[in-house]
Amino acid sequence: MTEFLSYAFVQRALVTGLLLGVMCAVLSFFVVLRRMAFVGVGLSHAALGGVALGLLLGAPPLVAAALFTVGVAWVVGWLRGRTEVSEDTAIGVFFPTAMALGVVLISLSPAYRQDLVAYLFGNILSVSPDEVLPLAVLCVVGLALVGFYFKELLFLGVDEEAARAAGLPAVRLRFLLLTLLAVTIVAAVRLVGIILVSAFLVIPAATGQALARSLRGMLVVAVISALVSVVAGLWLSWTWNLPSGAAIVLVSAVLFFGALARARRVA
Amino acid sequence: MSVPAVLLDGVSASYEGHPALEDVGFQVPQGRFAALIGPNGAGKSTCLRLLLGLVRPTAGRVEVFGHPPLTGDSDGVGYVPQKVTIPRGLPIAAQDIVLMGRTAARGPGRLPSRRDRELARTSLDQVGLADLAARRFQDLSGGQQQRVLIARALCAQPRLLLMDEPTAGLDSAARARFYALVCDLQHARGLTLLCATHDLDVVGEHADSIILLDRTVRAQGTPAEVMSGGRLEQAYHFPAHHVHQDHAAHGTDPTATSGTS
Repeated sequence: MTEFLSYAFVQRALVTGLLLGVMCAVLSFFVVLRRMAFVGVGLSHAALGGVALGLLLGAPPLVAAALFTVGVAWVVGWLRGRTEVSEDTAIGVFFPTAMALGVVLISLSPAYRQDLVAYLFGNILSVSPDEVLPLAVLCVVGLALVGFYFKELLFLGVDEEAARAAGLPAVRLRFLLLTLLAVTIVAAVRLVGIILVSAFLVIPAATGQALARSLRGMLVVAVISALVSVVAGLWLSWTWNLPSGAAIVLVSAVLFFGALARARRVA
Repeated sequence: MSVPAVLLDGVSASYEGHPALEDVGFQVPQGRFAALIGPNGAGKSTCLRLLLGLVRPTAGRVEVFGHPPLTGDSDGVGYVPQKVTIPRGLPIAAQDIVLMGRTAARGPGRLPSRRDRELARTSLDQVGLADLAARRFQDLSGGQQQRVLIARALCAQPRLLLMDEPTAGLDSAARARFYALVCDLQHARGLTLLCATHDLDVVGEHADSIILLDRTVRAQGTPAEVMSGGRLEQAYHFPAHHVHQDHAAHGTDPTATSGTS
């Protein structure tokens, strides 16, 4: 373990992984509360279109993916607010469309296919020193925003109509949550990849839900399980030369099933 | 003379071009209990949504305590929905739900204060659920959940309580207890109540006035005035004895076949 921690790239991976883990765990609380798991899946796959666009245009792929995914999230939010189209249906339209766009764009630039694997499955161990600070700032700002509007987002998640009736700015809060989800998904692509990031936006809160008896407990367990998943996943990845993103998600899933088994035993 | 708690004057509203209300006018004086009745699709919920500022009228004037909704004394309006659906297994306690009533007053970035928690406790106590404050919301019975939602509305210290079919899904005894409770609260707190409901028999006993709605106001006045002269039968397109007896006997909605709300 000491040797594992002595490498600079491992330290960078741990710092960014832990920060992204906390961010994903906190957002997973609202994803589960608002039954937005499908939104997470859709937005993560939409990120592929953004990555492909960036690769084709020569722009930083994650920046392009962030702009593209936030754009998709806003269109989804707008469709839900202004039309009879539900959030799930809107995502169901945009998910395959953005993914198809990504596949077409990738087919136009075969030279970049090797890079794409890292975006699809994540490789937190390859985080460069230049990437740590922006990712850290992103997580801190995101967590600060969630903390600032936590009560409001909670009320909105439980009973949107009553929250609106109480005078809360429901539309702005919905767009805030969608934007944070989109940006976090793109940031976490480095951690677990486009394919698996949506799992990390559900499993921590599901683990918390299985174990905790209060909302605060659920949030605490979600964060702890995400942190344990990142550390244990990275260590397993290092020890047995496994893909880091898949190892992190598998540890997360093992914690969830463990929590579920414990919850059933207690019940 | 004080301004009415609720005023609708020549109000029309529509959804996607389909008219929901046409030239509706009524008012509720402060401190009174008014019931909005009418068949499904009559526009009862739309009236409440207009008063909450969730829907804008296409014509007419909507006022709450003399101001347009959400502009004047919006803190003074509490809302009790038909029900709240919480994801299965989510550990939200009754007191968490009630504390949400303080969210708007507290503002973003500030944790609930000691006073907020005290108000939540008092509100739960007033609806008789102080002992169940820490119980998970979804483990409560339908009637208890409804009382939690009233406590949440009371926690915002409203002067006007708008309720949208708050007893849907409750049995007859629970409905009677519910209305007894809100009437007690009305008198204790000087609340104005406006309740959209199908509970014709129960509100007939408790309400000060009834507004019979069927896209427009068909009748308004005391329960005795509105429930006589064949007005109910005309609005519900149903024989009078069915409107009363079926509902009283089975706790069901006598207009369930006439469309959706």
